Amino acid sequence: MPFLSHLRSAARETWGARELLWQLTRRDIVIRYKQSIMGIGWALLLPALIVGSGILVRVAMATVSGQPVQLSSLGGVVSKSVPWAFFTGAVGFGTQSLLGNSVLIARIYFPREVLPTASVLTQAFDSGISIIALLAVLPFLGATLSPALLWTPLLGILLVVLTLAATLFLSCANLFFRDVKYLTQVLLTFGIFVTPVFFEPVMLGARLGRLIMLNPLAPILEGFRLSVIEGHSLAQPLEAQLWRPGWLLYSALWSFGGLLLAVRYFRRSTARFAEVA
Amino acid sequence: MSIVFEGIWKQFRRGELHDSLRDLLPALTRGFFGRQAELAADKAFWALKDLSFEVAPGQALGIIGPNGAGKSTTLKILTRVLEPTRGRYRVDGRIGALLELGGAFHPDLTGRENIYLQGTIMGMRKREIRARFDEIVEFSGVGEFIDTPVKRYSSGMNARLGFAIAAHLEVDALIIDEVLAVGDYAYQQKAFERISTLVASGIPVVLVSHQLDRVASLCTQALLLDRGVVRKAGSPEQCIAEYVKAAESGLRPLSGQTTLPLELTRLGIAPEGAIACGGSVTIRLEGNLTGTLPPSLDPLAFRLVSAQNGREVFATSAHECGVAPPSEPGPFAVELTLQLNAQPGVYLVESAVLDWTRWTYVARGPLSYLHVVAGQPFRGQVQMNARMMRVAARSGAPSGER
Repeated sequence: MPFLSHLRSAARETWGARELLWQLTRRDIVIRYKQSIMGIGWALLLPALIVGSGILVRVAMATVSGQPVQLSSLGGVVSKSVPWAFFTGAVGFGTQSLLGNSVLIARIYFPREVLPTASVLTQAFDSGISIIALLAVLPFLGATLSPALLWTPLLGILLVVLTLAATLFLSCANLFFRDVKYLTQVLLTFGIFVTPVFFEPVMLGARLGRLIMLNPLAPILEGFRLSVIEGHSLAQPLEAQLWRPGWLLYSALWSFGGLLLAVRYFRRSTARFAEVA
Repeated sequence: MSIVFEGIWKQFRRGELHDSLRDLLPALTRGFFGRQAELAADKAFWALKDLSFEVAPGQALGIIGPNGAGKSTTLKILTRVLEPTRGRYRVDGRIGALLELGGAFHPDLTGRENIYLQGTIMGMRKREIRARFDEIVEFSGVGEFIDTPVKRYSSGMNARLGFAIAAHLEVDALIIDEVLAVGDYAYQQKAFERISTLVASGIPVVLVSHQLDRVASLCTQALLLDRGVVRKAGSPEQCIAEYVKAAESGLRPLSGQTTLPLELTRLGIAPEGAIACGGSVTIRLEGNLTGTLPPSLDPLAFRLVSAQNGREVFATSAHECGVAPPSEPGPFAVELTLQLNAQPGVYLVESAVLDWTRWTYVARGPLSYLHVVAGQPFRGQVQMNARMMRVAARSGAPSGER
């Protein structure tokens, strides 16, 4: 399998350069917090803004439909905000990771994969802080302790793999086509309208809802909400919420298939990095 | 443990690639009409053509050549930053590179943080960096500023720290770019000493430089590159002579040589090899006169040109030395003795025919070169053979009175 061999050698080289990966991640984290007045609060800013906007949207919806705002619906928005913030943050910063280090790329050889990977890890550190904050808030927003919570590690893996695939692909493309970063920013900004963060797919009706679920992020986000807030085991279908276990498989296909393709594109282009950086 | 290059070719595309999607889309549509392929073939050029060499442990290869010769491309292939289009290369073990690295630092991180980051990027383990940390700081001379963000460093400090990190890697092979021009004079000397130590440590070394005297004094062999092709491979002296000759002839084409009834056949310099500053050399020129020369022409003119900057440092001729030029047809020879009170470096020795009435050279003869190394230390432009002795003070005579 030529596809797998790219992935295997990329994984081996990245593992071999794990000290470098750690140093670069540490650098990004230190830089991010060193200069900001808010310090560690910076990590909470993006998810807090998303949660704030989400609550505003839900209150507006409730007002229009004449029903009271339910705490669990707010809990849904909160549980989906952190994964969404992770994805947008990592992809947004990571797209620039190769171009931003072009001096290094043009002069020194090291496994290039570590640069976008470090961006994803840096964002994971931020999200880790958000999750701690989340743990304090969620019990008041309808989260329940249930066996369904055991699905969250799997969802986390799917999310990280999907994010890594997108970051590897976009950082590489941005090196060859400098306007990719603008395109990415636009897509991330408008992505919130086609990704169920503030709303649930079922609100759009069965047909449009299923269409929204085709967004590879949608089943992951919905999965977080259903397992954390509704305590629903993802192996069971839940027609009232348009959930079927197959959606998980669908996202997994995107995540791992995407990673294979992204790594292949990345590895095939690395030889030309120093020529365009 | 050696460095091997086997038939390396490297192709680049001239001009910019489409570096935005905005440019790519129209180019793709143009591609449908079949014009794209022709354009691409036209823009491709070879930076290296069939380059082969081998550097064994204990050897140091100097690569010289004009801009665009392919020196940097070779260096980048050696450090694995670029991949060759064709050919094979092999570098055993861990390869270190002494490059200008100051620009690679992160401005917001302190010197300490940058040492760890940069060292890791260059492939050092954390404990190795920790073990050599004090040595690096000591060598860089950054001192108490080690915990200051690098953005507050002077450009000299920046460059010194970059060199210090690279110079303390534990490597099995070493690639050196022109980093010798880093920092002030004292630091340059220190850097040069450090490089000499590394070269002498018995690992294979490749040095790319425009500073020919460095190549002459550090390298065991050399390669003259020109537009991606090896012009000359051999001893540093041979390659430097060839390089300087080519560079010189490119500078000033002279006319009229074919019409002169004169051949200048050989230029020899004794003693051979490097000469200490202040020492003497004898330059011997042989030639053959086949007719009579106009009295305005002096066929025994000599010029010394600095290989570093192309400036003429000294010139003389039979006319100025008070020697009668040959007038009878037949072979002739002349010996010129010079005391080399010049800066260490490589100098081109050029024989020429001088029209002393107009003070212009009308033809050029054979060339050679001189390698001057430091003798008695001095500062300034010219070695003036300073001699100093203590003498008895005049007793009883107040100063200011005679």
